[in-house]
Amino acid sequence: MVREKETTLYIGPQHPGITGNMMVKVKVQGDTVTKAEVHVGYLHRAFEKLIERRNWLQSFTILCRFCVPEPDPMELTYARAVEELEGREVPERAKYIRVMVMELARLQSFMLWYAGQSGSAGLYTLGQWSVGDRNYLLDLFEDLTGGRIYHMYIWPGGVRRDLPVGFKDKALRTMDYIEKRLDEYDKLLFDNVIFQKRAQGVGIVPADKAIEWGVVGAPLRGCGIKADVRIDEPYEVYDRLKFEVPTAFGGDVWARAQVRRQEARQSISIIRQVLEQMPEGEVYNKIPNPMKWKVPAGEAWAKTESVRGEVGFYVVSDGSEFPRRVHVKGAAFTNGVTVTEKILVGQNIADISFILNSMGVCPPEIER
Amino acid sequence: MLEQEQALLSQVTSAFPVKGKVMRNRRVEVWAESTTVSSILMYVKNQMGYQHLNHITCIDRIEDTKFQLVYTVFSHQTKMTLFVKTFIDRNAPVMDNIDHIWDQANTYERELREMYGIQFPGLVGAQEFILEDWDEMPPMRRDFKTEEYSEKTFSSLPGRENTQDVRETISTRSGEEIPDFAKKYSRD
Amino acid sequence: METKKDSQTIAEYIKNWSRKHSLFVMAYGTGCGAIEIPATMTSRYDAERLGIRGAATPRQADVLLITGYLATKTLKRVIRVYEQMQDPKYVIAFGSCTINGGMYYDSYNTINVLEKYIPVDVYINGCMPRPEAVIAGFKQLQDKIARGDADNGTRYKENLDWYRANQQQVIKNWRMPDYNW
Ligand code: SF4
Repeated sequence: MVREKETTLYIGPQHPGITGNMMVKVKVQGDTVTKAEVHVGYLHRAFEKLIERRNWLQSFTILCRFCVPEPDPMELTYARAVEELEGREVPERAKYIRVMVMELARLQSFMLWYAGQSGSAGLYTLGQWSVGDRNYLLDLFEDLTGGRIYHMYIWPGGVRRDLPVGFKDKALRTMDYIEKRLDEYDKLLFDNVIFQKRAQGVGIVPADKAIEWGVVGAPLRGCGIKADVRIDEPYEVYDRLKFEVPTAFGGDVWARAQVRRQEARQSISIIRQVLEQMPEGEVYNKIPNPMKWKVPAGEAWAKTESVRGEVGFYVVSDGSEFPRRVHVKGAAFTNGVTVTEKILVGQNIADISFILNSMGVCPPEIER
Repeated sequence: MLEQEQALLSQVTSAFPVKGKVMRNRRVEVWAESTTVSSILMYVKNQMGYQHLNHITCIDRIEDTKFQLVYTVFSHQTKMTLFVKTFIDRNAPVMDNIDHIWDQANTYERELREMYGIQFPGLVGAQEFILEDWDEMPPMRRDFKTEEYSEKTFSSLPGRENTQDVRETISTRSGEEIPDFAKKYSRD
Repeated sequence: METKKDSQTIAEYIKNWSRKHSLFVMAYGTGCGAIEIPATMTSRYDAERLGIRGAATPRQADVLLITGYLATKTLKRVIRVYEQMQDPKYVIAFGSCTINGGMYYDSYNTINVLEKYIPVDVYINGCMPRPEAVIAGFKQLQDKIARGDADNGTRYKENLDWYRANQQQVIKNWRMPDYNW
């Protein structure tokens, strides 16, 4: 048997198929990957250091920038950690609004995923559609918070302000529209033989190793394991809502795509329920003057479910006006580094960006 | 109430000489000597089903010249989180390598090595993980002054107001009369 | 459409007119602003109607977008990408981070003033700039090209020593090939 010589290939940081500013260094033999290394650090902004220099409320401008495609889970997680340290209550209405914001954020992130996943399979039409439709969700965010991408809307003790007039109707109309569009996306992506053939059996995460490897989020549920922070450790009002946590079997790109396809529909149903059940009332518990606001000393660990998986914040306070330490463990930190390095072995070069997209690798969250 | 948490705590404390407490529901912490951490982790992973290593955090307790390390493990069966906490010496920070227990610990430890300068004997992997050509003190240590470094290396243009000053001006000003229209936004 | 200025020859006018309507944008997301690029390129804002579209490699691209903060590690790659681009080339810088550090002014790993390392044609302010602002920025670049003021490549070549000195101050380990633009 003739063995091909091993060659080293650098994919990224400037590469159209890479999911952000990062690099995958692969050793290939012919067309097959024999070793993969994920190199990050191209987006390192030293957030955890900077937060030590900002006060508790100023940190929010930094927090949302941890993950660019889906900033809201970061705000919520930090706010919940601070509330736990302080023992601050959140009004009922604010809890519902928070859940709504989270699900809207999930939905808009699914839209980006549709674009990335189909684009890396060479199907560009769907990307045009879904990123275009995502603008309708961003419009909702703009009405609600004033910003398209970064919102800084969730605060310790509630949310920044109440829903604007007419928001409910607009949101429901948008949900109807998006739901209709999701069916059309299915026709383009899931009924498409090209996608089926490319996705099935590619990038397999073994089900027996998944937990041990630290896989979280859709890749874990794609192995048939029903794990989701929203049911494992229900926060806000998730325990009062009816929703499914979809799972699939096989652990390949196809299974992960199936999970996300159903999750997008669950998000829509959650948003509808939340808008129906939302009680009237206050939306935030006033915090003291933010410039002098001191949070009692202690350590807290909060986590939430984002599209990529669980997001955890370890917040340490020493009783002063500044956080002592905020450690962020994003979903991509394991999914995108060790797990990706392992599952890329044995795959083809052409499938690398396909797999990266399906693992939800988000470099700003890895290196912070 | 909290029986599950108490049971977990007593199971760990009976197997190892550690102190601990139940923080709240689903959160249990134990304080251990740095040398026993890896055996505790091995035990909870293999015997008790705490198979998911969430992360390893380091907190720089510069006032006691110590680093505090926090290992967070989670069980998909009981849905509880266990924190294993320990102190190591800040001047000669060495900690046991645990990447034979969890592969992904390799990434976390490489980050700690780079950001705090903690050594993990036997840890393989490139020295540089996030930074490139860094020759100063490990940047996440409390005594690394990031603003001074930034000013020295990247010198910004004039006209930037320093945030520290803004904060002081606002807090000295908070005794002032607040205009009527702004009253409803005031949070004093 | 711009009318011809007296200082321009007919040939220059035609050259600039055609250049301004075919801007191939380098697909390199260097910072958070990159998330608005897909929105700008797709159906609602549709930048392609203005002749703006993506290019996969530096050799084919005309416009380099610096979409926000630059970590020093990325700066090295950006310089390599920039130097591989062929004349005429233009640089658009996004967001307050590129102007004077933005909210990361005190970070040890991000540069503060982009103009010290590579020449910039147009700044788009905002944090982050909306797609409308991005399109307005491109429009400004097109006007600049039509006027014949967009001389990014020549500026870089003429002041290469100054730029190199600044770059090498930040990038400690300078191992880069020289490109013969
Ligand atoms: S200006 Fe704002 S949006 Fe742009 S890179 Fe900087 S922080 Fe991000």
